[in-house]
Amino acid sequence: MAYDASKNPSGDLRERLYLPELIRGLAITTRHFLRNLFNPRDVNSEVQERKGANLVSTVSYPEEKTPYPPGYRGLHRLVPREDGKPRCVACYMCATICPAQCIYIEAGEYATQDPASESRVIEKFPTQFVIDELRCIVCGLCVDACPKDAIRMDTGLHTPSEYNRAGFVWDIPKLLQGPPVSHPSDPWSKRPSSAPPPHQHAEAHTRIGEGLVQLKLPPGEHHKRTEVTDQPVPVTRFLKD
Amino acid sequence: MKAFSVFIAIGVILVTVFWLSALAYALGAVLGDWAWISNLAILLLGFVMIIATLLTLAERKWSAMIQDRIGPNRATIDVPGLRGRAFGGLFHVATDALKMLFKEDFRPKNADPLLFNLGPILAFAPVLALFAVVPVGPQVTARIFGFSHQVGLQVSNPDFGMLWVLAIASLAVYGTSLAGWASNNKFALLGGVRASSQMISYEVALGLGLVGVMMAFSSVRLPEIIGGQATHLWGGVTNVPGLGAIDFGIPAWGILLQPIGFVVFFTAAFAETKRAPFDVPEGESEIIGYFVEYSGMKFGLFMISEFAEVVILSAITTDIFFGGWQLGFGGDAALTRALGPEHGILLGSLYATIFWIKVLVLCYVQLAIRWTFPRFRYDQIQNLGWKILLPQALANVFVTGALLLFDPSLKMLAIVGFLEIGFVLALAAKTSTDETDHAGDDAHLPADAHGQASTAALPGAAAASHH
Repeated sequence: MAYDASKNPSGDLRERLYLPELIRGLAITTRHFLRNLFNPRDVNSEVQERKGANLVSTVSYPEEKTPYPPGYRGLHRLVPREDGKPRCVACYMCATICPAQCIYIEAGEYATQDPASESRVIEKFPTQFVIDELRCIVCGLCVDACPKDAIRMDTGLHTPSEYNRAGFVWDIPKLLQGPPVSHPSDPWSKRPSSAPPPHQHAEAHTRIGEGLVQLKLPPGEHHKRTEVTDQPVPVTRFLKD
Repeated sequence: MKAFSVFIAIGVILVTVFWLSALAYALGAVLGDWAWISNLAILLLGFVMIIATLLTLAERKWSAMIQDRIGPNRATIDVPGLRGRAFGGLFHVATDALKMLFKEDFRPKNADPLLFNLGPILAFAPVLALFAVVPVGPQVTARIFGFSHQVGLQVSNPDFGMLWVLAIASLAVYGTSLAGWASNNKFALLGGVRASSQMISYEVALGLGLVGVMMAFSSVRLPEIIGGQATHLWGGVTNVPGLGAIDFGIPAWGILLQPIGFVVFFTAAFAETKRAPFDVPEGESEIIGYFVEYSGMKFGLFMISEFAEVVILSAITTDIFFGGWQLGFGGDAALTRALGPEHGILLGSLYATIFWIKVLVLCYVQLAIRWTFPRFRYDQIQNLGWKILLPQALANVFVTGALLLFDPSLKMLAIVGFLEIGFVLALAAKTSTDETDHAGDDAHLPADAHGQASTAALPGAAAASHH
């Protein structure tokens, strides 16, 4: 109920007496009080989609979390191969393009006798792959630069808090997560014929964010991802009553 | 589910109130003439202090609900069964008390040590002493373990009754002004001056607001005022088949006889408690007030005395304007007949529970007023006190006197009271035609028809609003 400032309140008997307005004000206050007292709070983290008579719009962090928007670039992850090792071939492209210089890579080479290098399709691998999450500016250039789809920013998480700076320097064991990915162009899945690749490969090419492939997240983390539509988000849905 | 837990909580509160009252009656029966000791302990230290302490939480939690927030819910006790349960923030009371007890009790170097320590005492003691004359439960014959005595839940019943309230209430100003002066801090001194000028200004209206009630019931003793409110203005005994004679009627409650007196007294007492919208002397986060230099439990005393004032103001208002412990509308006769005079303690405790329910509702009203209205400016406070409340109270005294001379049976007074209440309520219920966004209020009527109907009902109001 917006206050009409153009109206002269001194001409309104109700406002001059003050008491009727006092009673109306108390009625509004008490209505809010009773609605919030007797109705359970809707804990839907999408505040604008909350139903029910309770008017509280608080998201009780950290028990409840608002989902990030679909375009959010989350924490990095190193994409694993089917055998659990990182897809990274230690080409240094991400470390080179990184404007914050937060990626540090040490490359190793498979020995000739190594069973992993039977056909010599994989020659290099990272012995060290370290990202300083405090330096990272979350620009996503490393993801674009990677020729092997080995680094992605699709976890939907933000950097968790730590007690010291060393905790923000993430190495391979912390970075390597999510479902394994393989592509038809991968050297270890070279096909004998030139027939089109099986469908699941085409799917794996698409971004996980489009929902075609289920991203495996660590247990206990449940994230709702918002559906992307062409419709504009109605801001007025935030305004209840 | 939430509504269920709310009802459980209300039930727990009511049962606690009932048993505490029953304990007071039982102790009174055992102590006999020394019943004032048990009343002192249970009413003042038990009821008033517990409710005042819980109001510190209620202030935070209720304001949160009023403002669509969650409020305090983080303090929990880490024992099995209670782990992770906030109980509506109940443990925040304990953490607040512990914090105040263990904080440094700091005194500024140049502060006057005696007066500085005396300030919170003088602010708190009169507030608690006010309650001595406030009756909580009726005089009943309490029998327990072979003891039998006439017990009433009132510490003391002197002849000067309500005058004690007015006299002691004006003593509280010493605490605030001394606190402001002794702190040796210019801001505290200014806050103390603001507080004392406000409290002294409203003392006049506070006393005059009650004169009408004193005249109507021709007594200043609170139990006699409550007894006067037991009579029915209209109505009488009707025989209902199956239930017997039912004495139904409109009680002569002070609010019906003296609505203007109620408004003047409540407003003036609100200014005495220095709570919003009269919190110019000390406005928690914005205005540096008279207890800015106090820390620890001395600050806590100022704080708790404010909430004790809320409880005591509610109790006095209940006694004078809302029939005290009575159910009203013929319920008392039914209750007495259903239980019989031999169950003195049960009857008295039920009445005391009714009293405390009324007090808690009035406490809610006071807290809701705080979270509804913006603060008055200093000149508005003085204007309201001297130019509006004082003439209103004086006019009320003369009108009440004339009406009492004209008709000593209080009926004429009640008719005028009804007209005043009806006028204010009609104005409050009248929705202006330009408020279209209140769809819920106008859903049953087209806006035009509603507006015309209410303006037709109130020609005077409509004429005034079209100036």
